[in-house]
Amino acid sequence: MNEILRLGPDHLAGYLAVAACLFAIGVVACITRRNAVGFLMGVELMFNAAGLNAVAYARFRDAHVAGDGQILALFLIVLAAAEAAVALALVFSVYRSFRDIDLDQTTRLNGTAGSDPAPTVPEAHA
Amino acid sequence: MSWLPLAILAAPLAVAVFLLFFGRRLHHGGDGFATGVMALCFAGSLVVAADVLAGGAGREILGHSVTWMTIGGMNDGSSGSLPGFVLTLGVYLDPLAAIMLCIVTGLALAVMVYTRWYLHGDNLYPRFWWSFSFFCFAMIGVVISSNLLMSFVFWELVGLGSYLLIGFWYFKPAVADDPHYQAMKASYATGILESKLSPADAQLKAFVMNRIGDAGFIAGIALTAWAVIAWHGKHGTPAGDPLAWSAIFKAVEHGAFNEISLLGLSGTNLLTLAGLGIFCGAVGKSAQFPLHTWLPDAMQGPTTGSAIIHAATMVAAGVFLVARVHPMLTPDALLVVACIGAVTALLAATMACVQWDLKAVLAYSTISQLGFMLVGLGSGVASGGYNAGIAHLFTHAIFKCLLFLCAAAVIHACHGHQSLTRVGGLGRKMPVTAFAMGVAVLAILGVPGFSAFFSKDAILVAAQVAGHHGSEHYGWVALVPAVLATLAAALTCYYMARLWWRLFVAPAADSHVVDHAHDPWPSAKLVLIVLALGCLQAVWTLQANPFAVEGAWLDHVIRAKSVGLYASGVEVDHDAIHHAHGGVVSLAITFAAVGIALAWTVFVLLPRRGLNLAERCRTTPPLSWVWALLSRLWFLEYVYDFVFVRILGKGLGRTLAEGDLGTPQRLAALDAATATKKTARFGYSLDGLIDGVAKAFTLPGRAGNLLHSGRIGTYVALAIGVVAVISLLRL
Repeated sequence: MNEILRLGPDHLAGYLAVAACLFAIGVVACITRRNAVGFLMGVELMFNAAGLNAVAYARFRDAHVAGDGQILALFLIVLAAAEAAVALALVFSVYRSFRDIDLDQTTRLNGTAGSDPAPTVPEAHA
Repeated sequence: MSWLPLAILAAPLAVAVFLLFFGRRLHHGGDGFATGVMALCFAGSLVVAADVLAGGAGREILGHSVTWMTIGGMNDGSSGSLPGFVLTLGVYLDPLAAIMLCIVTGLALAVMVYTRWYLHGDNLYPRFWWSFSFFCFAMIGVVISSNLLMSFVFWELVGLGSYLLIGFWYFKPAVADDPHYQAMKASYATGILESKLSPADAQLKAFVMNRIGDAGFIAGIALTAWAVIAWHGKHGTPAGDPLAWSAIFKAVEHGAFNEISLLGLSGTNLLTLAGLGIFCGAVGKSAQFPLHTWLPDAMQGPTTGSAIIHAATMVAAGVFLVARVHPMLTPDALLVVACIGAVTALLAATMACVQWDLKAVLAYSTISQLGFMLVGLGSGVASGGYNAGIAHLFTHAIFKCLLFLCAAAVIHACHGHQSLTRVGGLGRKMPVTAFAMGVAVLAILGVPGFSAFFSKDAILVAAQVAGHHGSEHYGWVALVPAVLATLAAALTCYYMARLWWRLFVAPAADSHVVDHAHDPWPSAKLVLIVLALGCLQAVWTLQANPFAVEGAWLDHVIRAKSVGLYASGVEVDHDAIHHAHGGVVSLAITFAAVGIALAWTVFVLLPRRGLNLAERCRTTPPLSWVWALLSRLWFLEYVYDFVFVRILGKGLGRTLAEGDLGTPQRLAALDAATATKKTARFGYSLDGLIDGVAKAFTLPGRAGNLLHSGRIGTYVALAIGVVAVISLLRL
């Protein structure tokens, strides 16, 4: 069997395969979920897939650059946390103006103005 | 010692971050804390400067670098023609940087002590301290950075700091919208005040005008980086930062620009282009013609903030940068620098002569003095202009800071009134302020014994010498800087003397404005007196004889230890300098005497005799035209507004939009108005043409719009699909 495709804890391929699965699940979630929170979960899965790749490559590369991938993964974790905070704030803001977080309903930027029902505008102090 | 410059850089940032979050909870917004830290920074700067100035004649006196990023050149060996290189974050200190560091921290300390008096009781008081500390951090970064790109990063942070300070009172309306202003509008002598922006608009204007200059700066950096990195790669310089100052100068000196070409230019011409690109950034930051219009509007910030912007930080950064990259400026580029500086110096001086707003006079005087510095730097090394320009940067920082702090005292004492038509006769009520401002005015006039006599006259001498040298090659153009700068120096004497006489001696038009005027707190008074001492010539020369041509310590240290300039064998032309010195000095003294006397006659003597000469000049036809031209700022603002805002912004955009949107109404109007069918047909076809152009753009747009469903899932799928396609093609 080809060296590269060998599975097991001492081989890169297994880690990459898990990361690829994670990423694929994330993509599918992003494309199919209608709920904004589900969508964000998909994004987090993709982030983690990238982080897992970074750590896996770092583990199997030359010793003198090994730290790079782990540092990258740390960055990714921080970035994902910041992203989640911003995205949840956006979702909250969308909810306040649409009273809904169904992504199929929030399509007012599609350029055909007036094609969808006007959103309910909440009171300023709501 | 190596950690000290870094500590000086980091401390104000730490203060800024801390006060940003906790300032409101501290007693007085943490002003004492910020001031104390700045005092420590100043002490540290003095130690650093002493170290640098006393050190051996090494080239890079203190240089500490950490790796910032590694670009290209990975060990896979597949990188293209450019080899890999390392960018570093480092500290680079030569006498220029070391003295500038002292000036920045010292003046920041002075302004902070003063602001505790000036802004006490303001609702936004805590806000001042963190934004000011941040501003100082950014400027210190510009001063000590070791690398062109690092310099640019701090350069932009300086822009942000000034943005914060200019818009300090962000909620204030524009003057014209202010009901308080409407009530007293009648008593203002000029209509210019009405065009004053609100602080929020002023900060935006400063930011946008600076972006224009920075576009050139970025282009200059890119060009320089290209040439220098390619040269270092080809000549196998080992690992090191190719954008560090010394590396740039070395590559340029060895003809790095001869090996690349762009747009048919190469060698010296391309180097000129790169130098002018970087100079564009300085034009924006130092408010030089044609980007000078933001600085007078920046007066909307608190006056002490203006003091630091005008003295040591924002506008000084531009001149500092030109001094820093001086070795890579070619003679052509230097001539452009000198000409821009001279034009700005004269233009701003003429505008300052007719301003009635106390701070506007000072703002235009700053623009003018910055022009002088560029004339000096543009005159080159051999004429002594480089030293003179740097010296004027330092001396100007002190006396301009003092002028602004005195202006702050006057404005505070007069309950916010700052129009020269209303304020006056303050000499007896505010003796310390009057004395300090008098010293500063004598300094800027260039009276013997005061600081600008040392620096500004040296600039005029240098411009003359450089003009004579350059006229063989450039013809009369080389003489332009000398002539314009001399005229500007004459005008400076008039308008600064006018300001002082009007403020402190001539009676106030409106006595209740000045009724309760008094000097500031003792601590603030102390600041004024200390700064006034800094305006003495002896501080900068350590010589008893103010007329000595050379031997000043400042000259000496700049000459002895500047990197890349004197080392490459440029000799100062002492004979020519001696030759020009006598004439310039006697001219400068005459200007000062005539300016003081003329301003006294017009604003003190004649009004006492019942003759308001200024007012009469303003209304009598031939002179009133000049007055109108100058007080409307040579119509430059109007031209900018017309060309860039109205024609390019509103006009063009709206015409194109109306070509499409206004069609039915316009067709109806055409039908009604046209008598013959022929014109009607012409009208239809013209309209059809415009509509056709619009449709040609909208149809593909509609097609593309199908992808634009508004569903996020579609976008994600599209993005991933595109990435997948690209990576498949790459494989």
